[in-house]
Amino acid sequence: MPQTDTRQVVELGYGGSERLVMNMGPQHPSAHGVFRAILTLEGETVVAVDAVIGYLHRCHEKLAETLTYVQYPSIASKTDYVAAMTAELAYVAAVERVGKIDVPTRAQYLRVLMAELQRIASHCLWLGTWCMDMGGALGGGATIFLYAIRERESVLDLFEALTGARLLYGFHQIGGTRYDLPAGWTAACRETIGRIEQRIGEYEAMLEDNAFFLVRTQGVGVISQELALDVGVSGPLLRGSGVAYDLRRVAPYSSYEDFGVRVPVETAGDCHARYRVRMAEFRESIRLVRLVLDGLPAGPISSRPGVKSVGQVRVPKGEGYAAVEGARGEIGCYVIADGGPKPYRLKWRGASFSNLSVLPHILPGHKVADVVAIMGSVDPVFGEVDR
Amino acid sequence: MPALAWDAVVGFIVLNAVIGMVTYVTLLERKFAARMQSRIGPYYVGPRGLLQPIADALKLMLKEDIVPTRADRWVYNLAPLAFLLPCILIFATIPFAPGLGVADLNIGVLFFLAVSALEVVGLFMGGWGSNNKYALLSSMRAVNQIISYDLPFIFTALVPVVLAGSLQMSAIVDAQAGVFGWFVFYPVIGQLAFVAFLVATLAAENRVPFDILEAESELVAGFRVEYSGMKFALIQLGEYAHMIGTSFLGALLFLGGWLGPGSDLPFVGALWFLVKAMAIFLVVTWVRWSFVRIRVDQILAISWKLLLPASIVLLMATALVVALGGGGA
Amino acid sequence: MPDDRSFVAETTHLVRAVGRAMGVTFRNLLRRPVTVRYPTVKRVYPDRFRGILALTYDGETGEENCIGCRLCEYICPPQVIKVEMLKAEKRNFAKTFTLELYACEFCELCVQVCPTDAIIMMKSFDLATGDRRELLLDKDRLHALGLAFDPSWATGNRLRDAQAPPKPAKAEAKTAAPPRTDATEPAG
Repeated sequence: MPQTDTRQVVELGYGGSERLVMNMGPQHPSAHGVFRAILTLEGETVVAVDAVIGYLHRCHEKLAETLTYVQYPSIASKTDYVAAMTAELAYVAAVERVGKIDVPTRAQYLRVLMAELQRIASHCLWLGTWCMDMGGALGGGATIFLYAIRERESVLDLFEALTGARLLYGFHQIGGTRYDLPAGWTAACRETIGRIEQRIGEYEAMLEDNAFFLVRTQGVGVISQELALDVGVSGPLLRGSGVAYDLRRVAPYSSYEDFGVRVPVETAGDCHARYRVRMAEFRESIRLVRLVLDGLPAGPISSRPGVKSVGQVRVPKGEGYAAVEGARGEIGCYVIADGGPKPYRLKWRGASFSNLSVLPHILPGHKVADVVAIMGSVDPVFGEVDR
Repeated sequence: MPALAWDAVVGFIVLNAVIGMVTYVTLLERKFAARMQSRIGPYYVGPRGLLQPIADALKLMLKEDIVPTRADRWVYNLAPLAFLLPCILIFATIPFAPGLGVADLNIGVLFFLAVSALEVVGLFMGGWGSNNKYALLSSMRAVNQIISYDLPFIFTALVPVVLAGSLQMSAIVDAQAGVFGWFVFYPVIGQLAFVAFLVATLAAENRVPFDILEAESELVAGFRVEYSGMKFALIQLGEYAHMIGTSFLGALLFLGGWLGPGSDLPFVGALWFLVKAMAIFLVVTWVRWSFVRIRVDQILAISWKLLLPASIVLLMATALVVALGGGGA
Repeated sequence: MPDDRSFVAETTHLVRAVGRAMGVTFRNLLRRPVTVRYPTVKRVYPDRFRGILALTYDGETGEENCIGCRLCEYICPPQVIKVEMLKAEKRNFAKTFTLELYACEFCELCVQVCPTDAIIMMKSFDLATGDRRELLLDKDRLHALGLAFDPSWATGNRLRDAQAPPKPAKAEAKTAAPPRTDATEPAG
């Protein structure tokens, strides 16, 4: 970690020879949440970054000790609130692993379906907010933001028809899923996917060869392969730096091994590489959704259905860790059970927490304008960071 | 009626017309941008949102006037005025129709270009007087950018002047008479100059993709960040007035001003002029809502390495063409 | 900007990219906007919409469905429901039933656990108010809300039956584990 002297210097001041300490405070249009970065600038170049987190700490881990295994999944969605399906999946997968609870095949396929749809929705939000950060709330960025949100809203409409909620679903439960597909949902899903596939093509056309976009993203925020592996980033950041590591392929969960996930990898390590990785993930998720819809088996949606779904789950003593490939990286949940209806200890591994820790290594040397581009390509969600 | 009083009345009418047009142009931009983004713009206040600018103006007038504690009071308070005055003054030289204008100077284009470059002073005063690091950073970027882009702006604006042989605005329009006489139709030079003029306008106006000045996502409104209420309204007014002013200049220099079918009838010429200026404004708006912005060093690189040499070469080529007998219409 | 192409090639590339981006924006200009002019126009809510909570009456007899079993109170994660039971001869009732809607998570667990389909969610969220005390719903208010809006498809029995395995096993489950009317073993 670069040694900064920002702690000794009062923020509203000049820290010696021509350096300016500027606070990109927790309230900022492009902080992607509540994040504070104390930047030391020389002119327009960032010299040091002091990142401060913790503004969204809501004691998830302690809260989990006071709630039963049945009550917690809907709270789990609030860690990565932008991609709630994968966050809930991490929790229920961990408890099912510790308690050795089976999940029927249809439930596993439904979980895959929802996780991939959620990945599409989350990447829509990423694209929109990233372009808005680079283009201004009153400019071209806002246009792509509104287009991307329009597509995300159609995916959220699907989720709403399935669960009744648009953002925080409570879809998973211990042993399977809580809801089954309503009539007409599959047709609506196929139509939505088809439309999104065509629209993604349009947005790529707007951005791909765009000279303005390329100069903003190529060569900016390069994360070398060694740095990525050292710091422990995951997800599109890791795959953008040349490491072909995707949990859906390396350690498949919830019958991902049936689908043969193709993992996009880029070697440049800059913002543009991460952009390409996520755009490829869009198309891969669309392909996976179609595969799941074609091969969805009939059967029960939970191994604890009906009245058992709201009864107590007594997980015998043990501990275990389950990780899922969320939209941002590896979301993991470590559960220590002691035989009662509530966990003894729960630990979340937030993908964005590890991803953010790469910032002090890559930001120095870039201009202030690049800070927002890099933060957008890291795509943090502070529910995961602060928990 | 003594000539001076008559001039004052005409000036007053033009001033009010300009301010009225500027407020409604904001609504036009919002509706146009909204349609491009799959939404509708303001629709609630008044039929189809037509009273929205009035509501905004009233709201801004009723807001509290805040002066930051350690701001430089005189500089802070005078900055909006120093910004607004040149932006309104440029309208004095634009003839909206033959004989319909405040002052059709025989150095009209020179006056316009010189005065419009003065807005930088007000901009920098605003950034400095606010005692705010974001504002200061933004105004320093602004001075950089506007000075860099005023040069290609001036050179491309001089191309029609050379073709017409006069700095007087009405003379330039008269030189574009005839079918396909507009300077934008002039082979090669006209089109290149028009495109370069549009790009330089975008940058001199702080419009995306060159709007690092305001850059909402980084600098949260730039030099305007500490202004609220009526002072903010004056700054907004100045910005849009400058925008419209350069649209009018572009329409006059390249698109033939008030020329068009039926332009000898009263007020039809002025209407054509308005339509052409709005067309330029809409193209600029269209560009604004389609692109992300680029970084300040890249903006300066484009100006000094690309646009300025190109516009100098263009001007010299125009001079050569005129010297060899071309030019005029 | 990359210098590996000639000036002309790069400029044409730039012009084409600009044209493509502006073309996309222009195409959207001609599409219908997706705005729904709320509150004049309301969009159609899906059947399972999780809106405001409400208590219901029995369709045939007109009696309150709630038997005061307190299962919803025990399962609620933020503990916003408070129930007092009132014992009577044939069946129990709820003496008081308060729900703090301002703290409710809308997770639908109370609906899922209710044995008599008493508490349900409505297809509306329209309860915005300037005074938070209006969102502390008591039993009368909850019953009134149940009559004021459209109910969602999801009731306790429907949710549980949708998860349960096909018919023969469902009959087994019904006889094996009848819904509890007196909360001797709490569910949460």
